[in-house]
Amino acid sequence: MNFDYLFRETGRNLRRNLTLTLASVLTVAVSLSLLGVALLLQKGVNNATDRWENGVEFIIWVQPDISENQRNLLETDLNNSTGIASYRFVSQEEALQEFNEDYFPDNPEITQLVTTDVIPSSYRVIPAQLNAEAIEIVAAGFEAKPGVKKVVRATDEISKIETATDVIRWVVLGAGIILLATGLLLILNTIRMAMFARRREIEVMKLVGATNWFILIPFMLEGTFQGVVGAALGTASVYGANRAFEEWLSSDNVLNILQSFAVSSGDVWEIGFLLLGIGALVGSVGSAIAAYRFLDV
Amino acid sequence: MIKLEDVTKVYKGEVLALRDASCDIQRGEFVFLVGQSGSGKSTFLRLLNKEEEPDSGRIYIAGKEIGLLNKWRVPHMRRQIGSIFQDFKLLPNKTVTQNVAFALEVIGRPKHVIRDQVPAILELVGLQEKTHRFPHELSGGEQQRVSIARAFVNRPLILLADEPTGNLDPSTSVGIMRLLERINETGTTVVMATHDRGIVDTMRRRVIELNDGEIVRDQARGVYE
Repeated sequence: MNFDYLFRETGRNLRRNLTLTLASVLTVAVSLSLLGVALLLQKGVNNATDRWENGVEFIIWVQPDISENQRNLLETDLNNSTGIASYRFVSQEEALQEFNEDYFPDNPEITQLVTTDVIPSSYRVIPAQLNAEAIEIVAAGFEAKPGVKKVVRATDEISKIETATDVIRWVVLGAGIILLATGLLLILNTIRMAMFARRREIEVMKLVGATNWFILIPFMLEGTFQGVVGAALGTASVYGANRAFEEWLSSDNVLNILQSFAVSSGDVWEIGFLLLGIGALVGSVGSAIAAYRFLDV
Repeated sequence: MIKLEDVTKVYKGEVLALRDASCDIQRGEFVFLVGQSGSGKSTFLRLLNKEEEPDSGRIYIAGKEIGLLNKWRVPHMRRQIGSIFQDFKLLPNKTVTQNVAFALEVIGRPKHVIRDQVPAILELVGLQEKTHRFPHELSGGEQQRVSIARAFVNRPLILLADEPTGNLDPSTSVGIMRLLERINETGTTVVMATHDRGIVDTMRRRVIELNDGEIVRDQARGVYE
């Protein structure tokens, strides 16, 4: 195979069909960036869930005026419950310190307002089974105990965020897939146009005995090129979106809980390679279909 | 070299293009295919390089039945067969040299072979002075010479010519026929479909006449009618 010929022909086709080529490339780029964002969201939610599942699963806040007797009873229950792996008592002083360090490290004015009377002591409980239903059963059992003010499940917050991101993710994913199909059709059409523009050359090639592969490969390269360039643009915009998100996370006015949604750069690379693969696949499949249908090999 | 056995070709189930055609053409022969428009001459030629498939019958090229060829072998078979046409089928955006080189390029011939063979064949057809012209800058006769050069540059065993002088005036046609004769003298079998009575009657070669898809005459050293 003569590479000189291949690249010359592919390059010529791409230039000849510049507007359609641009349309295909941009459609692939937009669709793959949507797909990439959907994947990023998925990773972010997984990360957040992972982090919470490894930490405290629910917190039993006790009444500030809990009696010694009630506390002993509560601890006996915690010790005897088979649904609980371990627990830790957090005193009012510890809770206050944690509160100040975690939320308002730079605002001594606020920390002075918060005293131990305001923040109750609590039990941080790690359940034996780390699935939402089992946790719910164990947690609910402590809600009505005497001296308990409130039982807060971390899963409550996470699942709210999960539901919201789920909806967003499906919408984005759906739009991405529809656009990807559009990209495939555009590439198919571009290749068909390219083949039509070169029908005389194709006729001569068949006449003098060029093999079908020899005729097809420049067109398939053209389609693959469009897919890959589109995917590269899509990957770049996913990378950019993630950077913007990280930047926003590190600004002051963002809740701590959102930090756990940050995605590692390894994840971004993984998504990037996946997008490039999809782009190449869409490009080569689109052009192969076009070639198969319009070449009559 | 070329052998047809009871070949029938029907287009779209109705139009009969060739009926029970049988003939045997030896290596090195020069054969005229004559007959009215629509008598099946073009179909005859198109069957030989597998642009069309017969509905029944067998066709042999160089001893091989081409109906039994694997699909992927067809391009290799076509490299043994050069074709020229009434409308030349040259690529308008390529020069004379590029048009001829294209035929070698696309069958994967190495560059040095192309560099050697293209000027040689252009000299053979008498176009050594016009190698960098584009087809639209050439006369009809010159364009046909380019297409002959392209068909012959790969030294095929067979040359199929579908009315090669159909668009040319008589004096130009004579030059093209001389060229085809020279090619025939190198041992290449030539099959030429034509309407040109003058050429057939002057050259006195084998004539196969088709009428409504049937071979009605097969005559050595024949005339047009």
